[in-house]
Amino acid sequence: MLFNSFDFGVFLVVVYLIYWSIGNKNRVQQNVLILLSSYLFYGLWDWRFLTLIAASSLIDFYAAKAITFSKRVNFKRAFLWGSVLWNLGVLFIFKYYNFFIESFYSLFLYAAPVEGFTVWNIIIPVGLSFYTFQTMSYTIDVYKGKIKASNNLLNFLCFVSFFPQLVAGPIERASKLLPQFEKEREFSLLKSREGLRQILWGLFKKMVVADNVALAVNLIYASPEEYGSLSLLYASALFFFQIYCDFSGYSDIAIGTAKLFGFSLSKNFNIPYLSRSVSEFWQRWHITLTRWFTDYVYTPLIKNKSRSYFTRTIALFITMSLIGIWHGANWTFLVFGLIQAITIAIERFPVKSGSKQVSLIYYLTKLPLPLTIIYSFIIIMTSCIFFRSDSIETSFLIIKRIVAFIPSVNFSFVIGWKILVIPILIIAEVSTRFKSFPLINLEKYMSKPLRWILYYSLIIILIRYAGPKEQFIYFQF
Amino acid sequence: MQGQKNSLSTFNFNMKQKVFLTSVLCFFVPIVLGYILIEVLVLQIPFNYKNTASFFNSENDKIETIILGSSQMNNAVNPKYLDKTAINFASTSQHHDLDYNIYNQTKSKLNNLKYVVIELSYAHLELPHNGKYFWKNSVYLKYYGVNAFNRNTYFKDRLIYLSNPDFYSQSLYDYYILNKQEANYNSYGFDENNFQGSFKNLAFSEEKIAEMKIKVRKTNQDLQKENTVFLFKMLDDLESNKYNVIIATLPVYKTYVEYIDTSVVKRRDSILEVIDKKYKNVSFLKEENDTTLFTVTDFINHNHLNPNGAEKFTKKLNTHINTLKN
Repeated sequence: MLFNSFDFGVFLVVVYLIYWSIGNKNRVQQNVLILLSSYLFYGLWDWRFLTLIAASSLIDFYAAKAITFSKRVNFKRAFLWGSVLWNLGVLFIFKYYNFFIESFYSLFLYAAPVEGFTVWNIIIPVGLSFYTFQTMSYTIDVYKGKIKASNNLLNFLCFVSFFPQLVAGPIERASKLLPQFEKEREFSLLKSREGLRQILWGLFKKMVVADNVALAVNLIYASPEEYGSLSLLYASALFFFQIYCDFSGYSDIAIGTAKLFGFSLSKNFNIPYLSRSVSEFWQRWHITLTRWFTDYVYTPLIKNKSRSYFTRTIALFITMSLIGIWHGANWTFLVFGLIQAITIAIERFPVKSGSKQVSLIYYLTKLPLPLTIIYSFIIIMTSCIFFRSDSIETSFLIIKRIVAFIPSVNFSFVIGWKILVIPILIIAEVSTRFKSFPLINLEKYMSKPLRWILYYSLIIILIRYAGPKEQFIYFQF
Repeated sequence: MQGQKNSLSTFNFNMKQKVFLTSVLCFFVPIVLGYILIEVLVLQIPFNYKNTASFFNSENDKIETIILGSSQMNNAVNPKYLDKTAINFASTSQHHDLDYNIYNQTKSKLNNLKYVVIELSYAHLELPHNGKYFWKNSVYLKYYGVNAFNRNTYFKDRLIYLSNPDFYSQSLYDYYILNKQEANYNSYGFDENNFQGSFKNLAFSEEKIAEMKIKVRKTNQDLQKENTVFLFKMLDDLESNKYNVIIATLPVYKTYVEYIDTSVVKRRDSILEVIDKKYKNVSFLKEENDTTLFTVTDFINHNHLNPNGAEKFTKKLNTHINTLKN
């Protein structure tokens, strides 16, 4: 069930009415409803994978309890590794097994054999990378003593499968989301309105911006060898906005939906195209994933912040490579991560400024804002070429054609005047950059009739100018 | 009292919730009503599928011939010139996958079906199935009751305007605002006024037409195998149901022939030879190179016939069908 589908609208209305009808005094019944709805929501994609979610939830729930009740450190560690290996194993089998087998055979230049380690005909469960990371962080946090193991299986099952963020995040920590299942959710008129507005804004970004822009990107990327520099540059820049609006649109809908049910989810994007450096970009882009990797990979690798630049750079390369590979089982994603790592390593390179030691970021911040924004955008856009291309060869072909200044005969925007959605988006977001999303707190600035006119206009635009329905890009991850 | 439950309704909501829900309801009612109005207005616009569907529903027991294919076939066959009752199911960008689903999902209602006409233009086997016209699934569902794209369908898939707001907004504007009512669909759904196109714009001047740049659709040889397997599967089915199959290649304007990639034609023709040997129930109507019967005034553009051309082609098809044994 896609967030931008009619079916989700009906599902949401029905679950919402039953949820609040049950009343916040009956928290357990509300949680049962959330669990059943979440499993239904997921099962409509492929009910077989519900067993995987249920298995992951049960294993991590009991692993955390075992960690808590074990007296010996070795046992605690064994239960932790049991849980982590299960989660990574599931990820590996469903997401990376074929990739490694194919890469191994292609490395030695022969085809995969019929017997032995063969390529499996398996599909990747939707949202696998999101919920496994969420449950994995839970057991790690319990092991580290940051949180207590949950005693309530129902609450934990809800935490893992909560439908607004089940398939594409935000990746929540147990310390933030789990307690929300353990206490009463108060109905708030303000939160409900905000939730609806955030859903509307998310739908606009997804259906009007991302899906329209996708038309141009898909056309040009389908046969890059036929296009000149300008067209390829145009498509690559558009792809950045496509993926941004696709994913942040999804996150907005997820956060807005959660608000309707009285929950608060983490912010996942913060106008990433305003970043002044690639380091800053990762603090603005897919924030919950960056934090996850920082807390569970990067920080444990460097152990303490006083480590040398070299150690930190090694840790950075490992982390960014994993972030790249997290997106998908393809070498292109690895290169995507490595480009980020190289750039961040350069940005962090220590240089002496008088008696002080500073990094290059210090100098970047001294440059005029537009210049730094252009700098980071160019790096991100280049890495996005790898993100979007089917293969490394295609990525290099595109980059080669861009830098060779091949004339774009008959350059076309492809989507005509609909390209204006990009400047409209930028103006709306930049002018409200200190708010969590542009439509928040409208009561302060607009009378009710004006607000309704704005909502109606957005809905008419959604109906009339939505692009052809595209799957959310991040669902495949 | 605010915040207190009211247990009289099916759902128990407190005052705050009621205020919110009432406000949401008030907000959405005009949207729903407005949408219903648009949907009704769209359904009033003359549409070839509407007439074809109404013919299908009323004459299904008499129909002996179905015509499948793309817009070229849709423009080429006016069923009124056929002696045997026929329906033209061909439409824009309809490849063999959609043809097969339409045939397969309507055949149970076509008790008298004997002839199936399939298009095999020069590029057919090297063009992808399942093009980008997913929106047409709503049209097939609404008018023919056919799930041509074999997708899970829901209520929204039956909403015509929502299936392609761009197209239907333009149609609404043309029909209700500009009052354009040029189409003249006969009872079979064939537009008998469909002359407008690049050739008419050039006053059918052969010199000017010869100067026109022609964009021939890019083919992909890799698709040939897969598409041929699919075509054979379709032909197997038609053979097992004992239908006469006519594979037609459609007329194109003489200057278009020059742009056609001959290697693609050769590959297609080699498949036609295999079909000829393999299927006894298949016959061919090859009009692709007939540049003498079909002249400039028979075309809308390089590869689409106008109603004059359709009359000529359909009469040839009629003669061909009449020579076949039942």
